[in-house]
Amino acid sequence: MSDLTVPILTGPTLTLTLDGEQVHAQDGETLLDVCRRAGKDVPTLCAEDRVDPMGSCRMCLVEVEGQRRLQPSCAFKVQAGQVVQTDSDKVQRHRQLLLSMYLADHELDEDDLPRERGTGNLLRQHVLNHGTGPDLPPINAPREYRMENNPYIHFDPGACVLCNLCVRYCDEVEAVSAITLAGRGAKTTIATADQKGLLDTTCEMCGGCIAVCPTGAMTEKPSLASNFQEEKVVRSTCNFCGVGCQVNLHTQDNKIVRVTSPPPGETVNDGNLCVKGRFSMEFVQHQDRLTEPLIRGKDGGLHPTSWENALKVAAEGLMAVRQKHGTDSLGFISSSRCTGEENYLLQKLSRAAFGTNNCHQCAAT
Amino acid sequence: MFGAGAMTNSIPEIRGTDLMFVIGSNTTEAHPIIAMEMKRAKKNGAKLIVADPRRIWLADIADLYMQLKPGTDVALLSAMMHVIVTEGLHDREFVDKHTTGFEDLVASVSEATPEWAEGITEVPAEDIRTAARLYATTEKAGIYYTLGITEHSHGTDNVYGLANLVLMTGHLGKENCGMNPLRGQNNVQGANDAGASPIYYAGYQRVDDPVAQAKFEAAWGTELSPTPGMNLNVMMKHMGGLIRGLFIMGEDIVLSEPNTERVEAGMNGLDFVVVQDIFLNETTRFADVVFPAACFAEKDGVFTNSDRRVQRVRKAVDAPGQARPDWQILVQLAQAVGYPMPDYQHPSEVYAEMAQLSPKFSGISHERLEDNVSGLQWPCPDPEHPGTVTMHSDGPIIGKAPFQTIAYRPSEELPNSDFPLLLSTGRTLYHYNSGTQTRRASGAVAKQPENFIEISRRDARKRGLDDGQLVRVSSRRGTVIAAINISPRMKRGCVWMPLHFPEANTNRLTNDVGDPVTQTAEFKVCAVRVQALVQAAK
Repeated sequence: MSDLTVPILTGPTLTLTLDGEQVHAQDGETLLDVCRRAGKDVPTLCAEDRVDPMGSCRMCLVEVEGQRRLQPSCAFKVQAGQVVQTDSDKVQRHRQLLLSMYLADHELDEDDLPRERGTGNLLRQHVLNHGTGPDLPPINAPREYRMENNPYIHFDPGACVLCNLCVRYCDEVEAVSAITLAGRGAKTTIATADQKGLLDTTCEMCGGCIAVCPTGAMTEKPSLASNFQEEKVVRSTCNFCGVGCQVNLHTQDNKIVRVTSPPPGETVNDGNLCVKGRFSMEFVQHQDRLTEPLIRGKDGGLHPTSWENALKVAAEGLMAVRQKHGTDSLGFISSSRCTGEENYLLQKLSRAAFGTNNCHQCAAT
Repeated sequence: MFGAGAMTNSIPEIRGTDLMFVIGSNTTEAHPIIAMEMKRAKKNGAKLIVADPRRIWLADIADLYMQLKPGTDVALLSAMMHVIVTEGLHDREFVDKHTTGFEDLVASVSEATPEWAEGITEVPAEDIRTAARLYATTEKAGIYYTLGITEHSHGTDNVYGLANLVLMTGHLGKENCGMNPLRGQNNVQGANDAGASPIYYAGYQRVDDPVAQAKFEAAWGTELSPTPGMNLNVMMKHMGGLIRGLFIMGEDIVLSEPNTERVEAGMNGLDFVVVQDIFLNETTRFADVVFPAACFAEKDGVFTNSDRRVQRVRKAVDAPGQARPDWQILVQLAQAVGYPMPDYQHPSEVYAEMAQLSPKFSGISHERLEDNVSGLQWPCPDPEHPGTVTMHSDGPIIGKAPFQTIAYRPSEELPNSDFPLLLSTGRTLYHYNSGTQTRRASGAVAKQPENFIEISRRDARKRGLDDGQLVRVSSRRGTVIAAINISPRMKRGCVWMPLHFPEANTNRLTNDVGDPVTQTAEFKVCAVRVQALVQAAK
């Protein structure tokens, strides 16, 4: 779901009137920036800091004096002396009607509210916060879905509000342009070029489309069965390359069920993840994981043993080499995959316990 | 070079730069999130210069792409320096104030004209001129590189060449500039910082410095050896000889080190091997004892990323069965051999001990990292220090930085009539190093199920090879089988293979000759031949 940060004023300011109060803004900012700084509840679906504003969802419309129509605050630039209303009767009527129209074209649960999916549905929150207008008959749009052929990304057209955020992220941030808006009228949906499966496109399965989707229409396939409200979230650091992306590990019943990024703005990855960070966690729970100490038997095979015995055999074996061939006949190979503390302890083990500086990590390049 | 081995600048600074010189880094695949920042900078109007033998994805959006012959970086960089000094584009003030040896450097590149370099690198002389001018005249210009620079028998010279460029143009100590090695693994930086090195204790304090030795002897309560140890590549070569026992934590050396046959022979010559890992792998075949370890999601600690950022790793799930966190096993092993390693209750206590002994990060603690959600970047000498985003802002931290003269010499193993193709190796987007983790990921397996060799259309056609066909790839050291992938990204005469597949281990081919200074092996250049496994059905 989209996360918007509150912009900070850095340069010279101009003044405008927002809901009757004087507020400051900076040249080049949008009305939405100002509203967020002022703490106004202006609902959005298609706004996201990492992509250019599009103004497609029409949720953030506000009333600007001198403008005949309501204007999308995400794309409308501030001007000195503007008079803006975010909660006038006209704005409220517009919002409620718009939400009614969204509901008519959205999969609903038993309470007639937009179904909760993935990591939450922003449309549902807007309906709960702002209410709806007239009941409109369901549209039952005949949308076709053709990106199924991939292991990670699930798309549910019935929950899509066509805000185009996933497509814009794919174009502007990941820059692989694997998905696009396709079709016309009520049939419009998110699709791939030539209707290929995602695996056969330029898609790099970064899952950014899932991360920005406001309604959960895009979700992690491996997490479909999991209810995010029951998940425990632990903030950690990704264990693959050297970028140091921050990850939220979602767990349930002692299993990792989903990986997301903390919100953009404060981390080195700025809300982004790659295919490895988001999806390559199957190894953690893999059946091949080593679960007990092993020692080499007389038959040449590796056999389970107790920790006590394994530690004893290892200690005796290494000490025997040291006695026979000298201190510097031992080598200690550390790992750039392990933590800093573990690397510290390994060099301490090598130097203090065994007396050799023959200690090196695996990737000293 | 300037006093610390790390990115001089920070990853978030990339988006504000005006020029990126990316050399020897396939950033979109190896560091996808840094590549996103580069894409963002490009969108904001920054220029992008890419130098790589493979026409990588970034080359497609680059303003200037130089497809150099593998292993000729020194010639390219020398010619760029030549252009900068002959056209007077260097930063005189910075050179005078912060560097030494500029005259020697100028003399050393006087013959290195772009035309000379064109003959070696196959990059048009005019492109070299353009690159040099753009880099020298853009104020906010950063260099980004990775193992394509270092994994050569002249890797140190490559790095010197880049550092010279940075110094002569004064692109140091300023925002959005600098010299930025992108670290390949989550905690390469942190492992170096922590002293997993034959010459340094934690915090880059030399083992042969009596002051450092005395400090660590006092802290650890035992005598320590002042003799620098062997680095990994040297240890690999002495297995069975000087090295008779190994303790290996979290690396599949048999798969990851170059020249597999020699590594395997060496492993067989060892008296005793202990491996501590999360899966059985190629190396555990030689182990006498295997300790089951916890993976990153099952323990606490810190990782330090490419831009010196110390960040927390937190336990999310329990380790399977009897597996234990690596730090506990190390303590228990030390105690089992009679060394009184303290009974640390939590990695935060280990970190505190390390920080206390290491001025570079003595201001960092687990407690502080709870409050600093975006991590703390060293140098961070005291608990009030906010960390360092851009290094060397008051001039190089070693004082005056010396220019290092370099001279081009060819890679150790060049193609000949028996082995006519030049092989480079690397990582793909979907897989990670020895593949124990990503070969168990369904998406990665769906995208790239088996080892492959990228080859240019002309080289494939010349040998009558079709896309997808299995071939035998041989070097002087070994043979592996891989599928042909005809790729427009490849230069004629060059082939490329990934490293992730134990059943077709590319390192059976690679050369273990090392750089004379760092001993880093030449993974990026060796000579091979490619032959059809069976004749193409035609």
